[in-house]
Amino acid sequence: MKKYTALLACLWVCCVVASAAEQRLNLFIWSEYIDPGVVTEFEKQFNCKVVVDLYEDAESMLAKVQGGEVSLYDVAVPPDYLVPTMAKLKLLAPLRHENIPNLKNLDTKFANPPYDRNNRYSVAYQWGTVGILTKKNADAPLPESWSVLFDPKRQAKSFVLMDSMRDTLGAALKFKGYSLNSTDPKHLMEARDLVVAAKKRSRGFEGSVGAKNKVAAGQVQAAMVYSGEGARAVAEDNELVYFIPSEGSQIWVDNLVVLAKAPHRDLAEKFINFLLEGRVGARISNYSQYATPNKAAMPLIQPEDLKNPAIYPTPEILKQLEFLEDIGAKSRLYDEVWTQVKAK
Amino acid sequence: MNRPSLRLSLWSALAYLFLYAPIAVVVIYSFNAARFGAAWNGFTTHWYAAIWDNPQALSAARNTLLLAGCSTLISTLLGTALAYGWTRFHFPGRRWISGLLHIPIFIPDIVLAVALLLLYSLVSPWLRFFELGLPTMVLAHVTFQIPFVAIVVRARLAGLDPALEEAARDLGASGRQKFRHVTLPLMMPGILAAAMLAFTLSLDDFVVSFFTSGPGSTTLPILIYSSVKRGITPDINALSTLIILASILGTVSVMLLQRKNR
Amino acid sequence: MCGPGLIWLLVFLLVPMLLILSVSFISRGAYGELEWTVTLENYRRLIGFGALGFDPLYPQILLRSLALGATTAFLCLLMGMPLAFFIARLPGRFRAAALLLVVIPFWTSLLIRTYAWQILLAPEGWFGSILRHLGMTELYPGTLAVLIGMVCDFLPFFVLPLYASVEKINWSLAEAAMDLGASQWNVFRHAILPQISPGLTAGLILVFLPATGQFVIPDLLGGAKTVLLGNAIQQQFGQSRDWPFGAAMAVAALALVIAGMWLFYRKSGQKGEWL
Repeated sequence: MKKYTALLACLWVCCVVASAAEQRLNLFIWSEYIDPGVVTEFEKQFNCKVVVDLYEDAESMLAKVQGGEVSLYDVAVPPDYLVPTMAKLKLLAPLRHENIPNLKNLDTKFANPPYDRNNRYSVAYQWGTVGILTKKNADAPLPESWSVLFDPKRQAKSFVLMDSMRDTLGAALKFKGYSLNSTDPKHLMEARDLVVAAKKRSRGFEGSVGAKNKVAAGQVQAAMVYSGEGARAVAEDNELVYFIPSEGSQIWVDNLVVLAKAPHRDLAEKFINFLLEGRVGARISNYSQYATPNKAAMPLIQPEDLKNPAIYPTPEILKQLEFLEDIGAKSRLYDEVWTQVKAK
Repeated sequence: MNRPSLRLSLWSALAYLFLYAPIAVVVIYSFNAARFGAAWNGFTTHWYAAIWDNPQALSAARNTLLLAGCSTLISTLLGTALAYGWTRFHFPGRRWISGLLHIPIFIPDIVLAVALLLLYSLVSPWLRFFELGLPTMVLAHVTFQIPFVAIVVRARLAGLDPALEEAARDLGASGRQKFRHVTLPLMMPGILAAAMLAFTLSLDDFVVSFFTSGPGSTTLPILIYSSVKRGITPDINALSTLIILASILGTVSVMLLQRKNR
Repeated sequence: MCGPGLIWLLVFLLVPMLLILSVSFISRGAYGELEWTVTLENYRRLIGFGALGFDPLYPQILLRSLALGATTAFLCLLMGMPLAFFIARLPGRFRAAALLLVVIPFWTSLLIRTYAWQILLAPEGWFGSILRHLGMTELYPGTLAVLIGMVCDFLPFFVLPLYASVEKINWSLAEAAMDLGASQWNVFRHAILPQISPGLTAGLILVFLPATGQFVIPDLLGGAKTVLLGNAIQQQFGQSRDWPFGAAMAVAALALVIAGMWLFYRKSGQKGEWL
């Protein structure tokens, strides 16, 4: 009996010690969103190990953080509309600006954003849009509209929807002519029915990266993706095209945050500061093909990216884009609708 | 008894084909030169070489083996003791143990997974030990391994000839000695088989691991699932082929060992 | 001796189950947090009375899961019973090899064998193009793909327990029945079926119960079009962040399984002594 307990205790200690040993940073980030070379550079410069865990949609990240991982991850990358929510849920640690001098590199548009005044909790990482990636079909060109997904008469031959609550419901709302942030239950039910009908004609739900891969492989003709996935797919295959639907779409800003019970808070802030360097910011954006909020990085961005309207939308396109906002307690309505969409 | 009829043989051949189709596909497509999709694009072995350069795959493999090893050790000890006590001693409530043990076998793994996740998230603010990671995964794996171990060992125990143990007692052996020198060696094949079963269950487990894992404790099944969600690539097929190979080797060696013991 | 193992199971099996039961009776905050106020809302929603009006969505999911589990068990029966008899009739050395061929997939990761069907059924693969020429396109993703995946994954779970019984059949009974002039079907029904009943029931239960609560197979092969109980539970503990509602669904799944187990024990007469 005593021998058993001793053995068990030893095994315990081994497990725990093995996982707590080195100086490390636990990063929770979207897939294909950071250049692995940047991570390695940070590891070398600060003599630590960076453990990278990936997610495909914002709500799943929130679920994990809410479910207890707030004390396990150091840095996460929520979209703009989730930052106020996470702050309200006490999941974020305020940033100590004295540890992040490179904050000054942020473009004025992204410093002091409306969803997080004075960058109390977050620092902009990348920004972009939501649109449609599709294979060009010379004889039967697809309309540059959400009807590619939602209109059975004008839809693509095969498509996938995005496995992301606010993004997909937002697209449905936009197709119907409503705001992306509508909290009217009638609007939401219309959006729900639209998405459920589309789901039955689709080939499933995918994250942006999975959807991009499916279109690139020719397994589906069209998919809803983020602008970076769109730009990267088009760069590899010029038979593909990424467009913003005519009814309007979403523009978003992803942000670096430090979680409230982060085990390595100092290192986390050093990491954020590192990512804000002009050179590093440019490297990230050149890799991910998203737009950078970093004015020190702009001179180092590939010139063809700056001219690419998929990455840096023109003023006309910008007029059609809407930011998602935190809708407070009404987000419960969205959660219910989305649950029904996934469950039907 | 006569040999199987032609009709039976054909039907069975179809069944075998059906069973092995997925395995064959994974192996074949691990040599596909195309990065995406199911279209064949030429033969190559460089995906296998790529595995060694993939730190994620290597750390996942390390986690998987560590997890399986730890949990198998613990569950075999606990399960064997449980089986022995359950079979050899009579005490009230004995019949309820059977029900308790069968629960993890029959419940959907997702129910066990979310139940444990709930336990961990409620307890971890006070006991940092229960924060999601390898320790919590070991706890979870042991929980579903113990019933399997107990049942296998119990089956072995129940099949033992009581005359051997009686003989030992008649010869004057004490309870402890009898256990160490007669019962335990007789139980060994059962214990080993149970350990193998527990090890395999842990290696292949996805659902429970998925819900109880933390940063840096990704296992191979979790890695494969996340990668498949982004699109099946030949390097995942290569990794899967290696895992399949390991399973086949393991199964065959266990079967050979068992035949020797008989 | 039983002590440590039992305590472990009590702490890490029973207590979590009780927690799930308790959490199914509390509410969810506006942002997905747990709000410790007692409510029957979750169960009301489960039977269809949600915030947006009556919707038999969840009873449908439950029934769909049961139906799929039963269909899987039935198809495994069709495919697996002949296989078990085939192996039993083989001469000695072939028998061991044939059995090994069934055991190997059983010990190979279910995840790998499931995602492989994505490749097999993909429309641009060679098998998919054959299907396309035959006029059957949308096999994957969808319910049929899920069914195929389930049957393939669970077939060994059915064959192995069944074989354990088939192996021990006393054929003299069947021969006697045939000598007495009974038809083939009656020979099977009265001389063979009773003998293999324990293995058969075990195999069916070992397929039906886990298949009903599956999450991975519908997730990978169903393309979100086939939502089963397992997927619904995962959704609540994931994106939807509604743990109380997910707990209520888990309780429903548990109730189902315990009911199934109880029926099984009554039928087999003892408390699982056959295992």
